[in-house]
Amino acid sequence: MSASRAQELSSLIDELAAAGYIAEPALAAALLLMRDLERPLLLEGDAGVGKTEVAKVLATVRATRLIRLQCYEGLDAHAAMYEWNYQRQLLAIKLLESDERDIAQKEQDIFSQRYLLKRPLLEAITCEQPPVLLIDEIDRADEAFEAYLLELLSDYQLSIPELGTVHASSRPLVVITSNGTRELSDALRRRCLYQYIDYPDYDKELAIVRKKAPGATHALACQIVAFVQGARRMDLQKKPGIAETLDWTAALLRLGITAIDAGGAQGLMDTLSALIKTRDDRVAFPREVVARLAAAC
Amino acid sequence: MLTNGAPEIAERAADRLAGFPGFLRANGFAVGGGDAVQVLQTAERVGVLDREILRWSLQALLCGRADEWQRFDELFDAWFLPPNRWQRAERREAGDGARSPAGMPDEGDGDAAPAREDAAQRRTASPREVLGSTDFRALGEREHALEIEALMRRLARQLKPMLTRRDARARLGRRLDLPGTIRRSIASGGTPLHLAWKDRRRVRPRLVLLIDVSRSMALYSFFYLRLARSLAAELADVHSFIFHTRITGVSQALHDPDPWRAQERLHLLAQGFGGGTRIGESLAQFNREHAPRLVHSHTAVIVMSDGYDTGEPARLSQALAQLHRRARRVVWFNPLCNRPGYAPVAQGMQAALPHLDLLAPGADLASIRAVLPRLIEALH
Repeated sequence: MSASRAQELSSLIDELAAAGYIAEPALAAALLLMRDLERPLLLEGDAGVGKTEVAKVLATVRATRLIRLQCYEGLDAHAAMYEWNYQRQLLAIKLLESDERDIAQKEQDIFSQRYLLKRPLLEAITCEQPPVLLIDEIDRADEAFEAYLLELLSDYQLSIPELGTVHASSRPLVVITSNGTRELSDALRRRCLYQYIDYPDYDKELAIVRKKAPGATHALACQIVAFVQGARRMDLQKKPGIAETLDWTAALLRLGITAIDAGGAQGLMDTLSALIKTRDDRVAFPREVVARLAAAC
Repeated sequence: MLTNGAPEIAERAADRLAGFPGFLRANGFAVGGGDAVQVLQTAERVGVLDREILRWSLQALLCGRADEWQRFDELFDAWFLPPNRWQRAERREAGDGARSPAGMPDEGDGDAAPAREDAAQRRTASPREVLGSTDFRALGEREHALEIEALMRRLARQLKPMLTRRDARARLGRRLDLPGTIRRSIASGGTPLHLAWKDRRRVRPRLVLLIDVSRSMALYSFFYLRLARSLAAELADVHSFIFHTRITGVSQALHDPDPWRAQERLHLLAQGFGGGTRIGESLAQFNREHAPRLVHSHTAVIVMSDGYDTGEPARLSQALAQLHRRARRVVWFNPLCNRPGYAPVAQGMQAALPHLDLLAPGADLASIRAVLPRLIEALH
């Protein structure tokens, strides 16, 4: 059994890689466990380490839909679960005025599925085939919404007063991401499997760059990754994430820079806007620093 | 998997697995009672022969936050790997268990007895000396500590409406929420009697407390931590840190519903610090690790320190300047300010002054009470 688990694990890692995501074995193990235990997976880590990407690639690997709920401050149940289509309902009421049927029937008609707008959460539990439900940046939503979400995640049912209870026809694979702007409740953490995603190490990042930017030669990719890893070790306000690495690679390729060395520091300066995103950090990157980092590549 | 081998071996393996959540709990993890069952189920599913797969699976199952995630590997090894380390871990767990029942006097093992002795000595000492103790355990034993906590709670409650209040001017230019209005009109038979308005996007004010717990502050840090605890209990968005030679978040520990255990946790957090005070380093670390997610345009950062800094003044100055750019207000409470003839001549204070919105005395509750309401007012 253990051997087959190891096989499962390595085949999942291969599938993820084929879909364009280089996964740590720990993450793959968590994804397998998430399927077995039917629990949501909570991903934490700095911005730009590829949390959202996990959900996207999971949907690809499982050949299913991705339903995304982007959280924001003030997100309420109506925006996340369901909403009645009021305009159509009002119109229907006008049209039904001349109708002969009795009131109860008319009412039933107005509050039927036809006038229901499905928002991500309702949509996710009424799909035929279990989708991947991505709840992105849950820390931006407020605590009340978190409690609401907990209820959905524990029973997989939703009650709509006018319509009755909607039971899940399939259990979605739930991926929750958080940037840690707010402390999440213990109840939510307890219900989820947890994964902390860190900045990738040299080998992993190199594999990602090779995969996502095939235009870069192996030598250039190595230098790019070494440079970015060096930049991350510096005392920066906003460390470059994987997305920045890839952007920067694209920028270098576009400008026809084929090697990173101290001599080409001026050329590198022009591309830094893809890598460094705040003014203070930019100040920390004068030409000498770039030249020093480049020389170390 | 577990039932395949000889029965007693399977049983021992199951016991060890089932004991793991308890071990993690003893090490400060937030794992619950039902987790032992989950661990066994998981082990049955993933198998116990491949150590790494078991490790990754249990890590996903039992961790709940980043610091737990980072400590997990070590604890997993300690529990499952060599038996000699295993025993030590078990003893540690037993020690913790004996201490945890909320401050009940027990047949003291080596650990609890000195603490009680200390406490007994303190009961006969002057109040000044009580505050002078750096040991957080001694807090809450004396009536005046309770009294001052009650006063702090009252202050926090007074501040509460100020934090949640909406500006009267915000009513201008609001927008009608049509679906909401129609939803409400159902109660009045379809006539929209009560209009619903769209909420304005607004950012709540936030307080971040950075408390110096170095030796020179020993008289006051106890008091400030109590204040932080009271504020955190009553107000929604308060975040607390302690610093010394580096900075550590203590919001979690302060939130512990059991005050005695909160002290215990704070005590543990403060212990690992080396000598000296490096305010600049600590603030720079705060800027690096916490400020990006914590400090926004409606945040007040409150530093509570006497400004005796053994680090580079330039570093402090630079870190504060950076913080000041991010935060709406940076306020420094200095407990020495109340003393007659005080002037901010300490090097640290000199370096800090240009980047502060306010340097305020902070030796007693009254002086803090004079500042906080105005500070929160300014955040709106």
